[in-house]
Amino acid sequence: MKSILKAALSTAFLIAAASSSSAEPAAGKAVFEAKGCAQCHYTDGPAREKTIDDQLAKKGPELWYAGSKFQKGWLAGWLADPKPIRPLKFNSLDEENADDHPKLAGDDAANVTDFLMSLTVDAVEAGVIKPKRNVKGKQIFIKKMPCSGCHQASGRKGKISGGRSGPSLVGAGERLNPDWIYAYLKNPTVFKPVKAMPTFAGILKDKDIKNVATYVSNFKAKKK
Amino acid sequence: MKRFLVLFVPFVLASSIGGAPAWSAETETVFKFYCAQCHGLGGKGDGPNVTKDFPVTPRDFTSAKEMDKLSDADMKNVILDGGPAVSKSPLMPPWGKTLTSEQVDGLIKHLRKLCKCKGKQG
Repeated sequence: MKSILKAALSTAFLIAAASSSSAEPAAGKAVFEAKGCAQCHYTDGPAREKTIDDQLAKKGPELWYAGSKFQKGWLAGWLADPKPIRPLKFNSLDEENADDHPKLAGDDAANVTDFLMSLTVDAVEAGVIKPKRNVKGKQIFIKKMPCSGCHQASGRKGKISGGRSGPSLVGAGERLNPDWIYAYLKNPTVFKPVKAMPTFAGILKDKDIKNVATYVSNFKAKKK
Repeated sequence: MKRFLVLFVPFVLASSIGGAPAWSAETETVFKFYCAQCHGLGGKGDGPNVTKDFPVTPRDFTSAKEMDKLSDADMKNVILDGGPAVSKSPLMPPWGKTLTSEQVDGLIKHLRKLCKCKGKQG
């Protein structure tokens, strides 16, 4: 009898735990919809874009794999106090980023974070990339296939340099899931079937894609 | 019947007029989406990536003098395999795994339109 009671109690606990862990994502989803976030970001995968026009029609990045792409702590902070990630306006080559992304207050930011972090995908395998200094990755990033042509990064003494058409990679190691960086470089069309960035899979060897992901995932934000 | 003709004829005309330059409209979209990041929306080599730190000057596609040095085959090699394929900067990345062969062929025609030149023959 005691063991039945114990089992019943633990089942009840598990149900309660499961429902409470999904409570915030549900609340976050409601906020996401109420605040009109879905006007610029879609959250139901798989990827919809088939043509350049499809990509250009989007007002903001897709978020259907946000939970596999971002780091939770960074996302919560960014939603509460967003700062431009792209130097230029999304999908534009001649307009500056207006730095006008809506802010979410207190609980809303936390709940939307929980909602977005619940959007994970199997295409990102966990535990593959460990952020650390990587000489080969750096060599590819700077010289062999210069990612810096389109992406800003922090160099010596925190000097930020690099191209402006892609998202900045300053602090990428605090923003992005290291395993997502690798998954994206290895199989980009799962996430972004139409993208302005060249596909390097099939050009760089898998171990070098891992080297780049390891190097980029070690990028820290500029020291203040 | 008259009404049918009124509706149908403009449709046929519109599709034939719209059909002819379709590849060029699409190629311009392809150019602006991929190439303009460095080469600029007008192809003058002045895209938004070209900051004072940018170590090379992307080719100005409107310069017949520069573009005449390249054959169509040279351009194809550079687009597919990147700058190092012709001893140029790796800042021109390889697009071989990104663009379709039709898109590459369209881009070469587009670049010839921009430079108003035929390039090195043979």
